[in-house]
Amino acid sequence: MTGLCLLAAGQAHAAGDVAAGKEKAEICTPCHGEQTVPDTANVPALAGQNNNYLQWQLIYFREGRRKNEVMSPLAQDLTDKDVRNLGAYFASLPRPPAPTKDLADASLIETGKKAIAGHGCAACHTDTFEGAGAAPAITRQHHDYLIKALTDYRENARPSTGVGAMNDAAASLTDSDIKAIAAYLETYK
Amino acid sequence: MAGALPAYAQLKHYDSDTPSFWKHPPADWFLGDETQAQKGLAPIAQPATPADPADIENNLKKIKLPPGFKIELYASGMPEARQMAWGDDGTLFVGSFGATNVYAVKDEDGKRTVKTILKGLNMPTGVAFENGSLYVVAIDKLLRYDKAEANLDKMPEPVVVYDDMPPYTSHGWKYLADDHKGAFYIPFGPPFNIGIPPTSNAQIRRVNYTNGLAELVAEGVRNSVGGDVDPRSGDYWFTENARDWLSDDTPSDKLNHLAKFGEHFGYPYCHQGDIPDPKFAMGHKCDEFTPPAVKLGAHVAPLGMKFYTGMMFPPEYTDNILIAEHGSWNRHNVQGGRIERVITDPDGKNARQEVFADGWITGPREYWGRPDDIIQMKDGSILVSDDFAGAVYRISYSGS
Repeated sequence: MTGLCLLAAGQAHAAGDVAAGKEKAEICTPCHGEQTVPDTANVPALAGQNNNYLQWQLIYFREGRRKNEVMSPLAQDLTDKDVRNLGAYFASLPRPPAPTKDLADASLIETGKKAIAGHGCAACHTDTFEGAGAAPAITRQHHDYLIKALTDYRENARPSTGVGAMNDAAASLTDSDIKAIAAYLETYK
Repeated sequence: MAGALPAYAQLKHYDSDTPSFWKHPPADWFLGDETQAQKGLAPIAQPATPADPADIENNLKKIKLPPGFKIELYASGMPEARQMAWGDDGTLFVGSFGATNVYAVKDEDGKRTVKTILKGLNMPTGVAFENGSLYVVAIDKLLRYDKAEANLDKMPEPVVVYDDMPPYTSHGWKYLADDHKGAFYIPFGPPFNIGIPPTSNAQIRRVNYTNGLAELVAEGVRNSVGGDVDPRSGDYWFTENARDWLSDDTPSDKLNHLAKFGEHFGYPYCHQGDIPDPKFAMGHKCDEFTPPAVKLGAHVAPLGMKFYTGMMFPPEYTDNILIAEHGSWNRHNVQGGRIERVITDPDGKNARQEVFADGWITGPREYWGRPDDIIQMKDGSILVSDDFAGAVYRISYSGS
């Protein structure tokens, strides 16, 4: 598999309807929270996330290319319009604050900082890891979620845009790389 | 963020000449030859959903055509739609890029319905139809689905017709150019931007789909995702995407003419027929290789193409080549995103090009759609597939 890091300055595609997305998103907030990082470690914060990336995840869940007990049935009833509206709504929110509890120690974070530099993550996610185009923001998530995401990419348990970009990126990560990278991103400011 | 390129500190560089790179390229393998002048450029993000028909109808008003021609929406809702092929009963089969799907479009009294008939294939960009069977080419397999049109709702298990192919996905997505003599011309792209290609790459083969035997017909070809046989000569003509990271304006993408089997088109040593590669020329001279018949322009991304043989367009279009240009990513101001017309003698002399249909680009780095293939309809109109908008358009001519 190969990777394509996709960045776009914008697309002449109908923008999603934020208000309609907000209404549709009522079912999402119990698990995903609204402005804060959710309490459940394996659930990502969606507020302020990259629109294109969010849409792709909903499409992957709906098409069965990504499987999750909770998300798969929820995604079945989404129309393409719902997908665009939800992407627009969550992207319109401010990003949540970084987690403050249960953080790793400084040496693991330092290891993570070196691992990230070595693996060139900034090439797609940008130097501040805020993401661009198809690449999501990867900071301000609980380390358990980041560990799950990177492991799933490495095991091909979830697909990636850009011709499998994240599957390729994660292919060479060891378990300790993943743990360290997650620790660094969780506390990145 | 519109207009600004992301700033990351270092220029990317990779050594792309190892098998580990070809098998497990880094996620940003195409950035590996980045230069300061073009720093920050990266491919355009693919929309997650196909465009709404209402939005497409609106956007089609932007398309400029010569007098007497018009464009309309033929079918929509096909994520990442790529090569098209006609079934004997009028079904239009459409491949896809990353969506893993093959679609079937049926026309019932002017109303088109779209079905996803295959899922889960590895970049099934190329399709063809012969003897009642649908052929699909994925990264490393040529598959045959028998009695396809009678079984759209329950496609049979495919027969693997040919799989002597490398597994690399980078530039590995393919096209089936049917010579209607029992074979497909199939391209094999190198698994990187520029380098010494591993064996079995940077080439075109002519594959007999009945006995699975293949001839190596062209070498030194980088990324070709379109081609067609000239009805006048029987020769194969094909488009080719040239290397990235030289500059915004060089080298040109190409339209090539395979006058005889065994020609070498220059990659990686020489680009556009006259630019030796700064690192990979390695002592070779450009005059050792076959130059392009037409330089189509830098970073226009020519993909699917067809010789026009219909009776609808004016006679001066007969035997012209129509080329779908997908448009740039490795250029600050993207170009392409249109259909080019090439007029040429069968031997490649007197070749010239002009724009036929233009208007898929909406900003310096913005598209509303990106054409990628062309096919003729029985009535002489043409269909154009668009993987960005996930749709197919019909261009017809109704007289001056």
